[in-house]
Order: sequence, then C-alpha cells, then structure tokens
Amino acid sequence: MGNKEVLRKNVEELASRVNGTVEEMLDYLVLTVKAPYITETLTAAKNFKETPCDFLHDIAGVDKMDHFEVVYHLTSLRGPQKLRVKAIVDRENPVIDSVTRIWPGANFMEREAYDMFGIQFKGHPNLKRIYLWDDFEGFPLRKDYVTEPPEVRNIMRVRRADE
Amino acid sequence: MDVAKEKELREAEALMEKNVLLTTIDKVLNWGRGHSFWPVTFGLACCAIEMMAAGGPRVDISRFGYEVFRASPRHADVMIVAGTCTRKMAPLLRMIYDQMPEPKWVIAMGSCASAGGPFADSYSMITGVDKIVPVDVYIPGCPPRPESLIYGLLQLQYKVNHPDKVRLLKHGK
Repeated sequence: MGNKEVLRKNVEELASRVNGTVEEMLDYLVLTVKAPYITETLTAAKNFKETPCDFLHDIAGVDKMDHFEVVYHLTSLRGPQKLRVKAIVDRENPVIDSVTRIWPGANFMEREAYDMFGIQFKGHPNLKRIYLWDDFEGFPLRKDYVTEPPEVRNIMRVRRADE
Repeated sequence: MDVAKEKELREAEALMEKNVLLTTIDKVLNWGRGHSFWPVTFGLACCAIEMMAAGGPRVDISRFGYEVFRASPRHADVMIVAGTCTRKMAPLLRMIYDQMPEPKWVIAMGSCASAGGPFADSYSMITGVDKIVPVDVYIPGCPPRPESLIYGLLQLQYKVNHPDKVRLLKHGK
C-alpha cells in the first residue's frame, strides 16, 4: 500500500470521527470540517500512523460570502504526504480555536488571517494586527469591505496625545 | 546680443586670462550642491533595485558626484523615494525627511512614489509621496531605468543651480 492510499485511509477514518467530508482536488486531499473540531482534527492529522502530516505549511483565510473558511496546508518533512484542512467559520461570529499550541509557528499566520479577515483565534498568545497599523478600521480582504477614497487615504494619521 | 552684454563678456574673458574669477557666494554654493548630492538610502520596493543599478559600474552615478548614499538622513541632502510608500510607511518617511538638514530636496522615483502607481486603489496606499513631503522632481516609469534616475538628478541639479529660473516658472516674476 503506497503512501497515498495510507493517507486516504487515515483521512477518511478521521473524517468519520469529526463529521468531516473528504474530496480530492488536483492531487490534494481536502478535508472539510466545522470550526469546533479543528483542534481535534489537526492533532490527529499530526499524529497519523505512517503518514504524519506534521508540518504546518500555511494558514489562509477565505471569504465565501455566507461563511469564512480557514485553510490549513499540512505537509511533512518525513514523506510526500500533503493534506489540506478547511474549517468552516461562522461569518457573524468568526471564532475558531488557535493552533499555536500544536504548532508555535502558527502565531504569525493566524495574526495575518486576523488582520485581513477579522477571524478571532481563541487561545492565541498575541492576537493583534501584523501588517496594518493598530488603529486601522475594518478588515480589508472581506468581500464587503469598502476601500476609502484617495482623499481620505491621503490624510496623514494625526499623532494622539498619549503616543 | 546687445552691445553692453558683449562688453561685459569681453571684460570677463580678459579677467579669466589673469586667473580671476568673479561670482557670488550663492552661486558657488549652489554649484557645489548641485554637483555633489548625497542621497539618503530610501529604497522601498523594486525601484530600489534600479537605484542600486544606477550606483553600479555600468551606469555610474559617481560620474556626477551623486554616489555617496548615506545610511543616516543627518548626512544627506536629497531623498530619493524609490518605491511604494504605504500609509504605514508615511509617518516614517516624514520623520526621515524632518531629520535631514537644510537645504534638502526630494525625488519621487517611479509611478508609485509619484502617484500611487498600480496600487493607487488599494486600502493601504497613499497616492504619491507629495501628500506628505514636498517633491522637487518626479521620475515616471515602473520602475524607471537608471538613465531616467540620472536624468532626474540632472534636472534637480539644474533646479538647484538656477533658483531664479525656478522662481520664474513657479510664480511668473
């Protein structure tokens, strides 16, 4: 049994445990779960037998209009396996558990997703903006974000008295 | 040429043969400034690569005396804003400009620094650094070639050497 079949078996077993769906997309196994299951899913994926997906490659946010998605790309330094986990997050109340306890490197990636989409990562040690400045209003990569006109953007920020 | 002007030139020529040079302090200072700009290193994006290429041996801006790129704004007198200036960078750009000693000039290099460029509609951009610092020379291009940068610096040299002409262009008297 090759690496791919073992991975598929592991992922399908995991999907039945966390109410997820599995599909294959361009040579990539995609596991879609609901947000509350994410810690369980990723802990299990990290500890897969024979095909551990233990390297967190990237975290991305996606705005799907009626909900958000947080996409985790998992690979490994110990094999060719790769797995994509999508977590569906409610749009009105975008809260999901942080994975910084599983991978400390998720720190900055989650801050980026928070910066651009406003997704709250529960349990994150330092959840604040990373690219934009602290008093920026709104989350610019959301589909309903309206960019300010250049006349507003060109005004330089006035320094507050307590700075 | 009118007679008075010709006479003045002949007298100047006669003085030249005796190794005498007549000028004003302002002219000498402006001549010196225009031929030895010390740019502050302010590369923000891909334009900075072209700025570095201009400092390299192929198109050598040290031929004109502009090669002394300073890491500290306190040593510099011209700021070449090479690249995309975002709203987060704007206060820092202003701070560096404020630290430069007078007299000082600003060159906006590339379309981003001049007018926002392809990112003008982005949430994070200001449309041109002229909204925060006074710009003397705009160099178009995306990014401009080193030759364009040299041409821009020579335009600035002309501007420094001829304050009367600049005043004429600006105010008409």
